[in-house]
Amino acid sequence: MPDTPARNTYPSPLNPEGVTFLPVSPRLVTARFIERGGWGLLFLLVTSVPLVLRATGVWPGYPAVLAWVLPAAVLLIVLWVLALVRRQVRAIGYAERDDDLLIRHGILFQRVLVVPYGRMQFVDVTVGPLERALGLSSLKLHTAAPGTEAMIHGLTTAEAARLRERLPALGEAKLAGL
Amino acid sequence: MSAPVQVPGSFRTDGPDDWHRVHPVSPLVRGWVAVAAIIVVFGRTSLENGASYRSGSLEFNGAPVGVVAAVVSAAVVVFGVVFFLSWRFTRYQVTDDHVHVNSGVIFRQQRRARIDRVQAIDVVQPLVARAFGLAELRFDVADSGKSAMKLSFLKLDEAKRLRAAILARAAGVAADPAAPGVVAEAPERQVLALAPARILGATLLGPTTVVAVIVLAFCLALVAVTGEPATLVTLVPAIIGVGAGYWRSFTNDFNFRVALSADGVRLHYGMLETRAQTIPPGRVQAVGISQGLLWRACGWYRVHLNVAGLGDDRRDHESRTVLLPAGTLPEVMTVLALVFPDPGVANPLDVLAAGIRGKGGAQGFVHSPRRAFWLDPLAWRRNAYRATGTALLCRRGVLTRRLEVVPHERTQSLSLEQGPLMRALGLVDFALHSTRGPVTPVVRHMALPAGRALFDEQAARAATARRIHRPERWMTGAPGNGPAGNGPTGSGPTGSGPSKYLEEEHGR
Repeated sequence: MPDTPARNTYPSPLNPEGVTFLPVSPRLVTARFIERGGWGLLFLLVTSVPLVLRATGVWPGYPAVLAWVLPAAVLLIVLWVLALVRRQVRAIGYAERDDDLLIRHGILFQRVLVVPYGRMQFVDVTVGPLERALGLSSLKLHTAAPGTEAMIHGLTTAEAARLRERLPALGEAKLAGL
Repeated sequence: MSAPVQVPGSFRTDGPDDWHRVHPVSPLVRGWVAVAAIIVVFGRTSLENGASYRSGSLEFNGAPVGVVAAVVSAAVVVFGVVFFLSWRFTRYQVTDDHVHVNSGVIFRQQRRARIDRVQAIDVVQPLVARAFGLAELRFDVADSGKSAMKLSFLKLDEAKRLRAAILARAAGVAADPAAPGVVAEAPERQVLALAPARILGATLLGPTTVVAVIVLAFCLALVAVTGEPATLVTLVPAIIGVGAGYWRSFTNDFNFRVALSADGVRLHYGMLETRAQTIPPGRVQAVGISQGLLWRACGWYRVHLNVAGLGDDRRDHESRTVLLPAGTLPEVMTVLALVFPDPGVANPLDVLAAGIRGKGGAQGFVHSPRRAFWLDPLAWRRNAYRATGTALLCRRGVLTRRLEVVPHERTQSLSLEQGPLMRALGLVDFALHSTRGPVTPVVRHMALPAGRALFDEQAARAATARRIHRPERWMTGAPGNGPAGNGPTGSGPTGSGPSKYLEEEHGR
C-alpha cells in the first residue's frame, strides 16, 4: 500500500516484517479527549475543593502547600494523559493476514497480538453513546483463552460491520474446534 | 427408570421421550448437612434445658411435649416434601448427541450439552454418597458456560454405564448394528499409583509449609522484640487453617492412581470423597510441570493440565486440573506420554528433562540473552523456549521451576509485549494464550530478534498444525477401529505414543 493516510505508520520493533497495519479512525482521538478530559476535569474539581474553601475563608487552617500541590499534580497528570492520546491512537493498528488477525497497541507498554481466525469463538461489537455520536464502534474478539484480550477501539461503524461479517466467516472456513 | 438395561455393563442411549430420574435418596445425600445442623441445634438446646415436669405435664425446653412433637413432625414433613419435589423434578436423558438435565421446582432449569464437546467426565463419591453406594456424575462441556453439568446421585454402576455411554458417543463410536446404542465400558489399565507416604511428604513439603515457616519466624521475631508471648495466641486460627490445608490436600490426593483406557486417561483419587476423572484424548490444551523449592531435594514434580471447561469452576479447579500431584521424573515422563503422546523430537526424555530442570542452551533451548540479567538476575538462563515438531516448550523459574508444554494445534492466540525497561535492553516477553486453567505459558525476556522470530514461526506452526489436526471425535479419524477402541489414531493415548518415550528409555 502506498504511503497514504490509510496506513498505520507507527514504527515499532515489535511489528512483524512485511505487515501493513491499518489505523483506527482519528475520531477516536476526539472521543478519548472528551472522555478522559471529562474525567480529568472531574478529578481536578474534586481536588481543588480545599483550595476554594481556603480562599473563601471557610477552612483557613488547611495548609497552603497541599491546597496548591494536589490540584497542580492532577492537572499535570491530566495534561500528560491528554498529550499522549493522539500518539496512543496512532499506535493502535490491526492487520488481516491469511490465517490470522494482528492487533497492536501501546507506546510505552507495547503489545502485538495474533489471533488465528479458526480460534475465534465469537465477535462482539459495542457502541457507547459518545462513540455513536462520533460514528465509532469497538470490536472484541473472543477465543477460548481468557488471556487473549483482543479489543480494537475506534473503528468506524462501517469498518466494524465489515469485520463483524468477515471475521466469523473466515473463522467458519478455518474452524478447528478448540 | 424406564431404561431397558438388560446386559450388565452395557448401556442403551435414550430416545427423545425416555427420561430417567436420579436415585430417590439423592436430596437427602445432598441436603444432609442442613438436616444435621437443625437436629444438632434443636437437640442441643433441648438437652441443655433438659426435660422437666412442671404442673403435672412433661415439658421440653419449657414447651409442652405436644408442641415439640408438632414442630419435629412439621420439620420432617417440610424436608420430606422439599426433597421429594427436588427429586421428582430432576430428570435426565442421554440421547445419541446430547445430554439433557432438567431440574428445579420453582425455577426450572433445562440444560443440554453436546456430547461431542464433552471435555472431561467425573464420577464423584462424597463420603455420605459412598455409604449409600451412590455417585455423582459430572461433566464439563466446552460450550456450556461456567459450571459443570451434574447428575447427582446415581447408583455407582449406573454412573459408570452412563460415563461409558457418553464417552463412546463422544468418541464417535459407530453403534453396533445388531444392538444399536449399546456400548460396553472400556477396560482400564493402571499406569501408576502414588503411595500414601509420597502424598504425605509432598503435602508437608508443599508451599503451605514455606508460608507457615515464614509466618512463624516473623511472629517469633515479633515476640522476641516486643517481649510479649501473648501475641502468639493470635496464631491459633492460622495454625488451625494450616492444619486444615494439610488435611484437605492430603485427603484429596490420597491414593492417587493414573490409569489408561480407550476412553482416555482416568485419574482416581481421594480418601473421604473419591473421584474418578476421565479426560478423553485430545482434550488437553496445555501441560505444566512445576517443582517447588522444597521438593527439589526429593526430586518430585507436579503436573497440571489445562482442559477447556475444567478451569471455569473456581471451587474445584485447583484439584481437578492435577494430572500428577507429586511424581518423580520417570513418573512425570510416563504421564506425559499419556496426554502428549507425540513429543515431536527424537530424544524426548533428554529434551523434557532439560526443560524441567536444566538451564542454558542445552538440548536446543533458546534462553534470554545475558543483558536480561538486569531484569532477571537469577532466572535469565532458565527463561527459555524450545519448539519441537508438535509442541512448544516454555521454561522459566528458578525457585519454583516450571515447564509448560502446549501442542501447536492448541495455540489459541499469541502476543508479544514490551515495557520501557525491556525496550532499553532490547528484550521482549512472548505469551501464548491457552484456555482457562493453571497453565499460562510465557517466555520472558527474550532477545528482540528471537522473540519476533518465535512469534512469526509459532503463528505459522499453529496454523499448519490446525490444518492437519485430528477431528473432535477421536475414533472416527482412522478407519478400522473397533467400537471398544483397541487402538485409536496414533495421537490417541493408546496409540503409538507411549512407545516413543519407552523405546528411548530402553535405548539409554
